[in-house]
Amino acid sequence: MTKFKRMAVTALAVAALGVGVAAAQDAPQGNATNGKRIYLADGCFTCHGRSGQGGAYNGPAPILAHTALPFDAFKNQLRNPSDDMPAYSGTVLSDQDIADIFAFVTALPGQGSAKDVAILNN
Amino acid sequence: MPKRRRAPDESRRNFLKGAGLVGAAGAAAAVTPPVTANAFPAAPQQKLKAAVPGPRQVAAETLAPAADPVNQKTSGGDFMTDVLNSLGIEYMAINCASSYRGLHESIVNHGNNKPEIITCVHEDIAVHMAQGYAKIEGKPMAMACHGVVGLQHATMAMYNAWCDRVPVLVIGGNIMEADKRAPGAEWVHAGVDIGQIVREFTKWDDQPASLQHFAESAARAYKVATTPPMGPVFLALDAELQENPIPDPESLRIPKFSPVVPPQADSGAIASAAKMLVEAQNPVIVCDRLARTPAGMANLVALAETLQCAIIDNAGRMNFPSRHPLNQSFRRGIIAQADVILAIEMNDLWGTLTHFSDRIVRRSRPSTKPGAKIVTLGVRDLYLKGNYQDFGRWQDVDLAIAGDGEASLPALTEAAKRLIDDGRKSAFADRGARLAKAHLAMVEQSKTDATIGWDSSPITTARMCAEVYNQIKDENWSVVGTAIRLSWMHRLWDFKKPYQWNGVSGGAGVGYNLPASIGAALANKKHGRFTLAFGGDGDFMFNPGAVWTAAHHQIPILYIVHNNRAYHQEYMYLTAMAARLGRGVDKMDIGTTIKDPNIDYATVARGLGAHGEGPITDPKDLAPALKRAIAAVKAGGPAVVDVVTDPR
Repeated sequence: MTKFKRMAVTALAVAALGVGVAAAQDAPQGNATNGKRIYLADGCFTCHGRSGQGGAYNGPAPILAHTALPFDAFKNQLRNPSDDMPAYSGTVLSDQDIADIFAFVTALPGQGSAKDVAILNN
Repeated sequence: MPKRRRAPDESRRNFLKGAGLVGAAGAAAAVTPPVTANAFPAAPQQKLKAAVPGPRQVAAETLAPAADPVNQKTSGGDFMTDVLNSLGIEYMAINCASSYRGLHESIVNHGNNKPEIITCVHEDIAVHMAQGYAKIEGKPMAMACHGVVGLQHATMAMYNAWCDRVPVLVIGGNIMEADKRAPGAEWVHAGVDIGQIVREFTKWDDQPASLQHFAESAARAYKVATTPPMGPVFLALDAELQENPIPDPESLRIPKFSPVVPPQADSGAIASAAKMLVEAQNPVIVCDRLARTPAGMANLVALAETLQCAIIDNAGRMNFPSRHPLNQSFRRGIIAQADVILAIEMNDLWGTLTHFSDRIVRRSRPSTKPGAKIVTLGVRDLYLKGNYQDFGRWQDVDLAIAGDGEASLPALTEAAKRLIDDGRKSAFADRGARLAKAHLAMVEQSKTDATIGWDSSPITTARMCAEVYNQIKDENWSVVGTAIRLSWMHRLWDFKKPYQWNGVSGGAGVGYNLPASIGAALANKKHGRFTLAFGGDGDFMFNPGAVWTAAHHQIPILYIVHNNRAYHQEYMYLTAMAARLGRGVDKMDIGTTIKDPNIDYATVARGLGAHGEGPITDPKDLAPALKRAIAAVKAGGPAVVDVVTDPR
């Protein structure tokens, strides 16, 4: 059953992102509000969730909320993605668009403490 | 569905009457000249060679024929009903149709509604209900339809059952003898070989020509359907055979049915597999449609604990407890470390052991490490057909064992135990402890991941599943449906009983989830279990009428609509296509979304006689809505909760 398949993909994808990163660079100034607009309009949310909580395409789609990825790695994944994620070229996403999206997802709250949510501890 | 209309002169009983009328007309023509200018001229009187009939003959031939019999005391359908009941068939889901009215009437009156008729508003619903029922109850129910147009409606559901290896007895009415068909609908609803459209995805079919033939074919159909690998079967039933009186009741015999004992694997092969598993450093067991009965899960647990090895469950059935420390289903990376892989009753082994990229150039590479030994156990490949490609891609293996997985596991476990010495026991315990630790970490990670977007609207699927579990965890629950790629239940919930899960559609044909869940709920009802299911909004709209069936038959089920207002998988695929071409990624909602207007599933449900809640957009509203819906289910009927969710 495919929905349970390739859980390894997440780990591999994240690892690939990390390996491909050059020296960390400062991210260009991004507009989180515009980033949210693009994130919703251009379909990022369809795999990664409106809250950046991750999801699934053919395999699991990584969590983006409050991502710790450096900007270059993030951009590299959009331009030359690993696994099944489609490549977003400059004709559909400019570098500034990517910076805006990056600003949006890094500002999203990441994981909380499961212990603070009673119904997650059944 | 157009119903069969009675023609004025169609039955076998009219044969002699018709012959008499022809004789009378002939005599009249012999003595009466033509009265119209364009009528065919009568033969000249002088050329007649036979004598003109005398008054007595004319009188005899022009007497009114004997009246048709207007009553009968038996019908073939009565005998068919007895046969179906002899097989222990509890239910027959139907969309009523004249081509099997004889059987229908017999079940209601002769059988006192046994098998119990389950009224469905579409044949697709009826077959899917039977599929869901069989996976909970462990035996087939019947489904009946018009043999041509009804069967055409039923085909996709039959394909799902075929791919899912689930037994369903499908019955289609037909009128075999051309001279018995009324003009109109009976001709377009009849066929020479009506089973041909489903033959590629049924295990066996027949069109009995006599009642005894029916009895033996029904028993054979049941036997074939329930022998692993299981699958749907089809019987075409002649209308005359159902409707006419039984000509010679004393000659009929109901066959003695004995179920087939599923085949166990060869003992030598089992010994070889046990040796490989015991000597392995990192054995991994992968499984899919393994558990046929409640024994299946217990048998797999016994083998896993004997070997202290990892289990990766593709969840085609309730194979392994979700919180068992050896359950590594969400740590599939360990396949890459396995030196021996035992694959039991797998549906898509190649897909499970391969990394495949859906890119412009599609590539694949094994997920396994070089030199890993692969052993298969199962009956999946013992019955294949050629057209539909549900058998998946070829996978190289080192030892392929034919045998029913569930039935063969005890022998494999015992063979492994005989090979485990004290030294290995210690190593196995260490391995088990490592796996248990990793399992716990995975569960904790899932809980932590579930917190992201906890209070968001639309509601995250993690929050939806957590809220539902919080309400039903103390019930004797059975979750019998899920939406595409919705796996939070298996990540967060404590599945440990054999009936708490029953797999998915098999053929990935949309429209399965709602009716199949209701069929599973029908099976659960008499066991007093609390049935619930999740399902997508797209799936719901294929067969919303199934809710009416649940309401009509008072089938209790809590149905959660995972309403992302889209055929979301297709939305993602389309976005990938647009991105690949560098254009229009912001327009991919065209043709993929279900909005403008948004569908109000709670209102739809209420209109079909069920309790409806929603649409729920604020996660804080979920718990109260679920409590109300659960109360409605406990009162004996279906409840639908429409939860507006994030896509995945």
